[in-house]
Amino acid sequence: MIKRAVIALGTIYIIATLQFVIFQVVSPVDPTATYIMSDPRRTDEMRESLLRTFGLLDPLHIRYLKYIRNMFTWQFGISFKSMQPVAEEMSWRLVNTVLLLGSVLVCTIMVGVPLGVLAASRRGGRMDVAVIGSGIFAWGVPTFFIQLLFVLFFSYYAYVILGFPLFPYGKMHSVPPPNNPFAFIVDVGWHLLAPLITLVIAGFGSWALYTRNIMLDALTQDYIVTARAKGLTERAVLYRHAFRSSLPPIVTMVTLAIPGIVTGAMITESIFTWPGIGYWYIQSLFQGDYPVVQAVVFIYAVLMVVANILADILYGILDPRIRVGVRR
Amino acid sequence: MASLFSKQRREIWSRRIKSFWQEYRNNKIGLVGLLIVFIYAFVAIFAPWLTPYDPLNPEAVAQGFAMPEWVTIIPEYRYLPRTLDMPLDWTIKDKSEFINATTGSNGFTVSYNGTGTQSINLTTTFLYPFDPPKKFRLGFTWTISNMTDAEYSAELYMSNPAGNTFIFYASYQNLPTAPFSTVPKHNLGTTLYSTSLPLYMYERLGVDKGTNVAQMIFLEQGEYKVQFHIRFRSTAETGAMEMQITNSKLMIFGLVHGLLGTDSIGRDIVSQLVYGTRISLAVGLFAAVISTSLGIFIGIVAGYFGGLVDETLMRIVDILLCLPVLPLLLGLMVIYGTSVWYLVILIAIFGWQGLSRIIRSRVLSLKEMPFVECARAAGGSKFYIMLKHMVPNVLPVALASMILSVPAAILTEAAISFIGLGDPSAPTWGRMLHYANSRGGFFALAWWWIIPPGLAITILTLCFVFIGHAVDEIVNPRLRRRR
Repeated sequence: MIKRAVIALGTIYIIATLQFVIFQVVSPVDPTATYIMSDPRRTDEMRESLLRTFGLLDPLHIRYLKYIRNMFTWQFGISFKSMQPVAEEMSWRLVNTVLLLGSVLVCTIMVGVPLGVLAASRRGGRMDVAVIGSGIFAWGVPTFFIQLLFVLFFSYYAYVILGFPLFPYGKMHSVPPPNNPFAFIVDVGWHLLAPLITLVIAGFGSWALYTRNIMLDALTQDYIVTARAKGLTERAVLYRHAFRSSLPPIVTMVTLAIPGIVTGAMITESIFTWPGIGYWYIQSLFQGDYPVVQAVVFIYAVLMVVANILADILYGILDPRIRVGVRR
Repeated sequence: MASLFSKQRREIWSRRIKSFWQEYRNNKIGLVGLLIVFIYAFVAIFAPWLTPYDPLNPEAVAQGFAMPEWVTIIPEYRYLPRTLDMPLDWTIKDKSEFINATTGSNGFTVSYNGTGTQSINLTTTFLYPFDPPKKFRLGFTWTISNMTDAEYSAELYMSNPAGNTFIFYASYQNLPTAPFSTVPKHNLGTTLYSTSLPLYMYERLGVDKGTNVAQMIFLEQGEYKVQFHIRFRSTAETGAMEMQITNSKLMIFGLVHGLLGTDSIGRDIVSQLVYGTRISLAVGLFAAVISTSLGIFIGIVAGYFGGLVDETLMRIVDILLCLPVLPLLLGLMVIYGTSVWYLVILIAIFGWQGLSRIIRSRVLSLKEMPFVECARAAGGSKFYIMLKHMVPNVLPVALASMILSVPAAILTEAAISFIGLGDPSAPTWGRMLHYANSRGGFFALAWWWIIPPGLAITILTLCFVFIGHAVDEIVNPRLRRRR
């Protein structure tokens, strides 16, 4: 356990250093150049003061030490653009991202996993073919294309034909937001629907296919034959025996999928201008707001490392045969 | 090394490929995928012959957001204007004395040599069989030479079937009456857009600024007339000058165009789509080949050498697997430039880790096999064994993985271009979608701009997934159990 924590911390440290090298050492771009150029009102004096304020004139090793301290104390420095601490700016955006992606994860699994179980139980049937098809679909179709089509038909065409968009396009609440807290929640939910539905459409197939394959592996095991021989109902065999033993890999997959969902949702957030981390990241990239860029990449890397560890631990809990450090 | 390509070896390989093809042939979806990829490759190779337009040329071929031409089968759209781009053939009318005029294929030459005020009219007529357009463009080049004691003024009129005549150009610009000009203009090109006329032209036409002049003039179907009215005057006893007007062209921007219409600035969409095939295929294939080669190389080295080499390489793999690839790619594109080839290399660098793990585990078991031991006992060097015994044995697995990494690379490139960080000099499908999204394609409900590139990406990636699965089933027989 301790060994694993050390490796994880080491990995995060190496990634942070790598990032420092990429963004600050070998970068041919002055970190402030894009920021200054992206707005004609910003002058060279501002750039000077910016460089001084942000300690960018310090020698490299001091900057590096400061940077590492900033990252590991979860401070991330000050944003060029808003002049606010990045940590503060990040917190409310993180809430928005978690709201979107949490609901996406839950819905995708709620749709995908039962479909996979169903497909495995009726192998070769119509359902099975549909699940395999949806899995391939999820692999091959660009998510942003599904979203653009959704926006085109359900927001723009709906607006032309019906006079109002079925799903609003952009932001996470109406402008101005409703005052009534209940109405506000409904409003946010309404704005959440479009990215949620499209991400579920794009993603459930891979879950269904994965569950199906795991289930099929489980269904060929000897204990299933035993369970059937005992005279258990097909339902009991399926859910109590096969599905239960398929749970560990599925749960592991869920944890391992989280980072991918988070980084992948960047484009979703920028299509729907959902004020989350990903949208912020892309905006900051275009505006040359490097403290934010570094912070977000760092957060993503930490998330990946943590998800990997979590997957191992969960797998150990769910499947006692495999536990780190326990040799049978 | 020569033995690597010996006759015997060639036979083994040809037999292997034949039996592979025998198996592959039975997979219908795989065959369909292969066929469609071949069609894409054909389009990519023959792109310049398939479309007459250069996708990077910003010049409009029709009105912005022009619909596909085949929508005119719908009665409502039947008379939507097509693009009319034609040279004007002038005929001489009402020529006074002292003026000599000749018309050629490229324009006309008028020479004046005499005294007093003389004038000439040149006209051309054409048929306009559509509804009113939104924009037209009139351009000509004129050259004035041998000007001695002479001055001129020129006007251009357009008249419609209803008999209304509109002035569209005057050499004396905003001056109230029609004064003569003595300024010798050489090779002066004039291009007039009906949507951005100078302010005084609106005054002359008697309409408010911003009025759609094209709609006002081309009100109905019928015969239209363009007329050049030129006057000469001598400033001394006698004067002489020569005027040449060439390249006179009228372009009426159509509201329908080609197979898939135009984008926001009136560029042809089919040509962008066709050239986009090149980029997508190239990015997908090159990134896949490079990353697979890296994966094979590192997997074999790690597996075969073992020990510290293995430990180090696998630790690097672990760290690379923890990197958030898409955000990092975006960051690198912003900082280090946006060339397509650079992107290919980046995608490859972030794409070999999974494969190298698989290859390594294969090599670990292969290493203990008797034939490898024999080779080693016979004095085969490490390099020889790796090249001759390891590589051929991991190649089938690597092939399946390579084909499946093509769609991933294509999707990554499309996503990056869609965000707007792609190569500005490369017409890609992701970039088309980026412009459709950022330049009002949605407000214009330009489905012909949004759906084709997305569909092209989707079909191409799906085909590679089909092929990949078909190959995967052949090289991993265990998978067949699941179908």
